[in-house]
Amino acid sequence: MSQTCQMAGSTYLGPAVSGTNDQRDWISDLHGPSGQREPALADLHALLLRGAHFELARRGLSGRDADDLADQAADDALLAILAKLDTFEGRSRFTTWAYKFVLLEAGVKARRRAWHGREVVLADDVHATAGDPHDRLETSETLRLVRDAVRTRLTDHQRVVFVALALDGVPIDVLAERLSTTRGALYKTLHDARHKLRAALSEGSPT
Amino acid sequence: MTDHDLLARLLGPEGPEVSCDACFELLDQYVDLELAGDDPDARLPGMRAHLEGCPACREDHESLREIAAQG
Repeated sequence: MSQTCQMAGSTYLGPAVSGTNDQRDWISDLHGPSGQREPALADLHALLLRGAHFELARRGLSGRDADDLADQAADDALLAILAKLDTFEGRSRFTTWAYKFVLLEAGVKARRRAWHGREVVLADDVHATAGDPHDRLETSETLRLVRDAVRTRLTDHQRVVFVALALDGVPIDVLAERLSTTRGALYKTLHDARHKLRAALSEGSPT
Repeated sequence: MTDHDLLARLLGPEGPEVSCDACFELLDQYVDLELAGDDPDARLPGMRAHLEGCPACREDHESLREIAAQG
């Protein structure tokens, strides 16, 4: 079921689900009796589908593959939202809150689709001949200090994660999938590695 | 990419930052504060630094701000 079509450089995402989404009492409707809940669920799913297509179009994805990904993202986001419905505290508009779930789902699926079948090299060192930006670590004293600190200050795991994310540009969701971990756990590792590298630089010596 | 840009990418933000999970929890509030012309960085410290340091969360933020602005 396609709702997108390309038009002169912009993407039409279908009609807005409702002009009164922000004023609607989504929580009450979604907790209501069947006659109230079912239309709310349908409208929420339509809103999520719109958000999924929006995110996929931003990434240049369209056509049947994008439709399939959008459907999956909207379905997964709806489940996540319903599971967390009671945690919504009204600190934002409900639609903004709901959109963040589907944008995350669509973004993760799009990143993983883009890297599907593509090898992720888990290197435990700065590559000597890997090209930019690895080569750039030879171009200035500060960057050479970083390179040396990567080699001497980081644990093996920190080095693998740092090289993949910060140097090789592997999307964090793709690396998380390959390493069977989470975005949060990988970012914590990257954060700790960066902290060590900063400390090494501030000391002015990599060792 | 200049050496300065590369160094920033490698070392990430200097200040305290929230985690990816906390970023996701706060992202909708952060965006609506932005769109309301409020000061989200004063209200939700650590978000800006994280968005600078985490490309995936930064992309999520940019997308959410854009679609939320459409109403």
